[in-house]
Amino acid sequence: MDWSEILRFARGPLFQIALLVFVAGMVFRLIRILLLGWSKDRVPNKGSKFGGVVKTYLKGLIILPFIPWVKNTFSRNPIVYLAGFVFHLGLFAVIFLGTAHMLVWKSLLGFGWATLPTPIIDWLAAVTIIAIIALAINRIVNPVLRKISGVPEWLNLIFVLIPFITGYMMYHHLWFEYNLLFSLHMFSVDWLLVWIPMSRLSHFMFYFFSRTIHGAQFGKRAVTP
Amino acid sequence: MAEDSIYKHLKSEGVSRRRFLEMCGLLAGAAGLTYAAPLAASGLPASLAAAGADPANTVADALKKKPRLPVIWMEFQDCAGCTEAITRSQSPTLTDLVLNKISIDYHETLFAAAGHQAEQNREAMMKKYHGKYVLVVEGSIPTGEGAKYCTVGGRTAEDLLKETAEGAAAIIATGNCASFGGIPKANPNPTNAKGVWEIIKDKPIVNIPGCPAIPEATTGTIAHFLIFGALPELDKLNRPKVFYGQTIHDRCLRRPFYEAGKFANSFDDKGARLGWCLYKLGCKGPTTYNACASIKWDEGLSFPVQSGHPCLGCSEPNFWDGGGFYQGQSAPLNRPTITALGAAVGAGAVAGVGMAASNKMKKNRAHRGSGENKNES
Repeated sequence: MDWSEILRFARGPLFQIALLVFVAGMVFRLIRILLLGWSKDRVPNKGSKFGGVVKTYLKGLIILPFIPWVKNTFSRNPIVYLAGFVFHLGLFAVIFLGTAHMLVWKSLLGFGWATLPTPIIDWLAAVTIIAIIALAINRIVNPVLRKISGVPEWLNLIFVLIPFITGYMMYHHLWFEYNLLFSLHMFSVDWLLVWIPMSRLSHFMFYFFSRTIHGAQFGKRAVTP
Repeated sequence: MAEDSIYKHLKSEGVSRRRFLEMCGLLAGAAGLTYAAPLAASGLPASLAAAGADPANTVADALKKKPRLPVIWMEFQDCAGCTEAITRSQSPTLTDLVLNKISIDYHETLFAAAGHQAEQNREAMMKKYHGKYVLVVEGSIPTGEGAKYCTVGGRTAEDLLKETAEGAAAIIATGNCASFGGIPKANPNPTNAKGVWEIIKDKPIVNIPGCPAIPEATTGTIAHFLIFGALPELDKLNRPKVFYGQTIHDRCLRRPFYEAGKFANSFDDKGARLGWCLYKLGCKGPTTYNACASIKWDEGLSFPVQSGHPCLGCSEPNFWDGGGFYQGQSAPLNRPTITALGAAVGAGAVAGVGMAASNKMKKNRAHRGSGENKNES
């Protein structure tokens, strides 16, 4: 068996299966969350829940990340804040604005979009890899983080890091045959797709649920049980 | 006459020694000997294998001693495109040398004889040169239930291949069909087509895939066998490393645009006119091992990527089923059907609702069990 055959498997049937598992898993998680229900208001609200939601998104996603020094997370642990910020920025840029990845979306969705120049994506990918490593080191060094880091936390980091490393090596044709690196990249991505619904990496979706619920709670300005 | 050395034969035809050496140089080039010659592996005497030996002299030495190389060229499920490519290859000396001086004794497209006469000629050649001739195969071989789809003189291709392979010194599979099954093997493979090396296991086999195979790669490999009496160094897929050692992408003249991230988005946009990278238009160059980008076609005039068409990956196994020709290589081979997606969503939803219902029941039971002393809902 040669790597081009293995690549065909990783890009073909395996990717399909992984994608279907991902969809089924995320729907499962989503339904579970939705059916948990929404807590009832037991006292009259003084504020607006909707206003709270808007405010939390404005503050949390649009304003505060750009004036980080007012945030607790930043002043208490700037490494987590900065590395985390760079990591997420790089991740989104690479996945959505990298040419090769846009072609994946195009083949799945049927439409494409403009992408960033490859050298910029390349640079962002490198910075993202460094950010992941910085976050990992921080997890070891910081005593509190170390105490609350279990196996799943480490696996999350590793499973996200591998596609980045293999993708970077593949793009630069480093050391190994292109087909081999491409296969490894696909295998790691296929696995990541299966892993996401089972892990906290599903926060890419549920982050918005918790933000919304917290925002509504903040906005209520009422006694909550 | 067949026992005469090639040099003697050429001399009798009026080829001067100067011209002969010129041919030797050409052959050495065709066999890729200007690159690090795999002399040690060829079983030649150490004096020839020593570093610094002039490849042209190596060739001249071989041609002076060796008789003509008999070649039997079999065509099965093919389009004769590889033959067409060879006859149109723009190095006439080389073609002349390989086709005439090497003595192709059986070639369905090229020879004048037909019918039983031709088959008898093949059988006579096989007997006369048993164990010495080179078998070149063009086209895939239908097997099993499908064997009946290709017959020559009333016999199946599979049968004929086994018969001719038996007495061959080596087999050269030219083109993707003979190498890996090619287009006839494409899904759903109605004739159960296979490449030569899937059928013949006990002979040295070289694959020269391509659609068609680069003529210089085929003639170069024959030349290598003629000179050294052994096959060139091969990769995992039995392709000569000298021609298939690097990818199209490695040698591509559009590579700088790939590095710079400048891509053509359609066949008639600004990028296409400026000769930018064809990756987004489905180029398979990064995974395709072949010599198109270095040897090129039509006397080094051009090759597909140079003339503006993405590489199809025709020298790789199953290239016909390797995703859309115009779909970027990073894209998955096929997208999940709506039914499969629906089933996945359904399965997830059912499992989610089921789990929620069972949890709710558990919770209710727990509440009933613990009476009124609860303070949370």
